[in-house]
Amino acid sequence: MATTLFDIAAERLEASTDLDRLAVRGTLRLALKEAGLDPQNLNVAQLRAVFEKLMPRELEARGVAKPAAICSAVMNDVMSAARTADLEVSSSPDEIFKRLGGS
Amino acid sequence: MDENAYLTSIIASLFYLIAGSRLLRLSRRTRERPELLLGLYFALSGIYYLGYNLPSLLGDLVPEWVGVVVEWTYILGVFPYLLFTRSVFRSRGAWGGWIVGLCSALLVAGTLMLTLDGSVEYSLDNPWYLAQWVGYTTPCAWMCWEAMLYWRSAGKRSRIGLCPPIVANRYLLLALFAGFQVLACLSDLLLAHEVGDDQTVSRITDALIGGTEMASIALLWLAFFAPRSYASWITRRAVILPTPMDG
Repeated sequence: MATTLFDIAAERLEASTDLDRLAVRGTLRLALKEAGLDPQNLNVAQLRAVFEKLMPRELEARGVAKPAAICSAVMNDVMSAARTADLEVSSSPDEIFKRLGGS
Repeated sequence: MDENAYLTSIIASLFYLIAGSRLLRLSRRTRERPELLLGLYFALSGIYYLGYNLPSLLGDLVPEWVGVVVEWTYILGVFPYLLFTRSVFRSRGAWGGWIVGLCSALLVAGTLMLTLDGSVEYSLDNPWYLAQWVGYTTPCAWMCWEAMLYWRSAGKRSRIGLCPPIVANRYLLLALFAGFQVLACLSDLLLAHEVGDDQTVSRITDALIGGTEMASIALLWLAFFAPRSYASWITRRAVILPTPMDG
């Protein structure tokens, strides 16, 4: 059963593409690593940025057709699932360090 | 210690007090723990540095017990620093808790035994001094390591617009600050080693203390009171990726 945003996103992506579970999770992990994010501490805004800016390119490289449209649909799914499961991460180090500077 | 080294220490103490009170005010407004913990660390460090330099300023007017109180003030300040690093960077892993526990035990045992000894003997031959030293140096090294790791990943997050470049830079500034604190701790070891009247060691120690304090002030100023020109310079230098999705 999916418990984190990463799991939900991987599940939805697997259902929307021909990629298998291992390939989907690996691709998503690679994109998150490139974005400097930890799969276990993701929030919706971070995942959305990855799906908008990095995942389309990653999926295209793996032969997935219409990657941008798929990413957009998967992200919409993930957002509604996250809302019902209340999976938002409360305070990330970035938010804390932003506050520390008063910015 | 040279007079210039005392002077930089006093300037640093005032700056720590200012930074600490700013963070404490912020925590009162936000009711969040990280700024409270870091604020306490800076405020108590400021009090410690002021107290540490009192004997050199006032001489015999300062009673001996003030030294003990000052020592414990610093030790009290290290606990929130440890908790800040743990709660911000390692809130999930168990080993972060182990570092906090181990450092706290070393600090309390070392300082308590030094206090009970009566004479605060900063010597490499004194195991309690070494225990205390490890107890207050490890938190600085830990903070330096964690903030450096986050600076590297924050650079990647900045590229996709997730982390403001000035926030990514703040990780680097705090990592460097903690790194300079480690250097200052190493200069403590040099001081402890300075048994005779070795002028060369004394000059190196003074230069290290003075240099690390001045660098620390500059880094904290940029981290907590960054002028607008610095913030826009950092933002201009950052590379942010465009969005490839257009429907």
